[in-house]
Amino acid sequence: MSNAEPMTRARPPARRRLKVTLLDAVLIVAAVAFVAYLVYRVNAYLVYHWDWGRLLQYFFYYDPDQDQWVANLLIEGLLITARTSLWAMVFASIFGLVMGLCRVSHVALFRMIARGYVEFVRNMPPVPFLFILFFFVGNQLLKPLELTELAQAAPPYVQDVIVLLFGELNLLRNFSAAVIALALYEGAYITEIVRAGLLSIERGQWEAGDSLGLSRTSQLRYVILPQAVQRIAPPLANQFIQLIKDSALVSLISIQELTFMGNEIAVSTTRFFETWLIVAAMYFGVCYGLARLFARMERRMNRGRM
Amino acid sequence: MTAPSDTAVRRSGRITRIPWFDGLQFFLLVGGLIYLAVAGASAFNYNWQWYRIPRLLYREVDGEFMLGPLIDGLFVTFELSAWALPLSIAVGLITALLRRSDSFAGRYLASGYLQVIRNTPILVQVYIFYFVVAPIFGLSPFWACILALSFHEGSFTAEIFRSGIESVPKGQWEASDSIGLTRYEKYRHIVLPQAVPLMLPPLTGQVVTLIKHSSILSAVAIFDLTTMALDLIAETFMAFEIWLTTGAIYIVVTGTLSIVVGLFEVRIRRRGAR
Repeated sequence: MSNAEPMTRARPPARRRLKVTLLDAVLIVAAVAFVAYLVYRVNAYLVYHWDWGRLLQYFFYYDPDQDQWVANLLIEGLLITARTSLWAMVFASIFGLVMGLCRVSHVALFRMIARGYVEFVRNMPPVPFLFILFFFVGNQLLKPLELTELAQAAPPYVQDVIVLLFGELNLLRNFSAAVIALALYEGAYITEIVRAGLLSIERGQWEAGDSLGLSRTSQLRYVILPQAVQRIAPPLANQFIQLIKDSALVSLISIQELTFMGNEIAVSTTRFFETWLIVAAMYFGVCYGLARLFARMERRMNRGRM
Repeated sequence: MTAPSDTAVRRSGRITRIPWFDGLQFFLLVGGLIYLAVAGASAFNYNWQWYRIPRLLYREVDGEFMLGPLIDGLFVTFELSAWALPLSIAVGLITALLRRSDSFAGRYLASGYLQVIRNTPILVQVYIFYFVVAPIFGLSPFWACILALSFHEGSFTAEIFRSGIESVPKGQWEASDSIGLTRYEKYRHIVLPQAVPLMLPPLTGQVVTLIKHSSILSAVAIFDLTTMALDLIAETFMAFEIWLTTGAIYIVVTGTLSIVVGLFEVRIRRRGAR
């Protein structure tokens, strides 16, 4: 381009300015029309009477006997979801760390075990996977342990702690089987996260460890893992959100978490619309809140590093 | 070019080479696990009835060949996935384009959709489509399930399209701007020819995800493979046999697809490197 040519056609640098385009108009009209049609179908065609108030009692209700407000099914379900997710995350992280280390091991057997595990989970749909593990773990591995009997024999204050951490004593076996099944499912994804984190560390770090005469274990322990942990943490946090969402699936094996409670309430009140919208909103609140929190923590971590 | 690729091959070679002895150990281990499972089942007097399984796969009545309920279920799974795949690609493409558009309404709609889908469980989405959306719009259960699956997978495909489009180097966009191409011409001749080969392997991988996620539809009344398995277990009480058979069917289908996707990916990457 010659200098003599006037630069009038050069566009100003792109700036985010609120500008209404034709597409905006079309989309807004379409969205409004859609909502109007929705309202018409619900109110005029189905003649549905919204009754949100009736569902409020499922959060908390007033118990005249105890003279106080008591958490009801929805809050209980949310707590069980939290309990299931936290325990599953603990175990999934352990499985993922061990299998991730196996994945980059020098021993081919370990690599094959880890690869076999990851490929199995990746190619297995979640519902049959949970059912198969629930049956195998619950019926074969945990039945001989007699967890419930063990817990019932414990002194009362120990029982209180167990109920706080794991839920009702007579559901202990189901709960632990579900947690292990869920943890094994998510563990495969964490394996890949750990593997990616370990492989992202520059070769020079391994070689530096070599030249210092460290054994491979010491290299991992003192050189590689401390660096990898920083890179593993953000995807691991996202995996936790994924796990909370996947924990809805254990409602299918009768763990009484939020989705299970939603089903109960929807069937007993026949308020399907309100119940499912509330349950979805509760999941959204938790997951979206956590996502924002984790994003902020990641930003702070990156700033600290610079 | 030769030196780095040489070391890369050697490095990856060390990771992927499998000595036969480790292979043997691996198979012994897997065999041991299967033995333990079987032995454990017979320990609490589980009555294995494998001979009843073939009837669930196929039957021969008067010399006529008929498919069993499990294979029927597998076809429903395929049918659901076959409808949901193009729909999810359409949803994903529209979302990705709206997110990149000049229109603020488009960007809000697209990101709102993505946030809602990403932050709620797929099971709850299926319930919402089945119990809320279907009665409002008078959809059949089958279509409610397909739509639930399409909108869920659409959030993944949107991400595939976005990363594919964004992987086109900035210089390419600037070059097409500088020769005065319109937006349509830019996408048609410069961006998409470079982005599509990158998108194809993950898009085909979506088929595996779709088949996996379609098992979640068994929570509502749709007669896919998982539902069939659940019904048959309720009828026959052969929990172990039927779950293992169902699992094997899924593994064969998705494993084969995964291998095909892997080969496809290698081929495209090799072509890209040339």
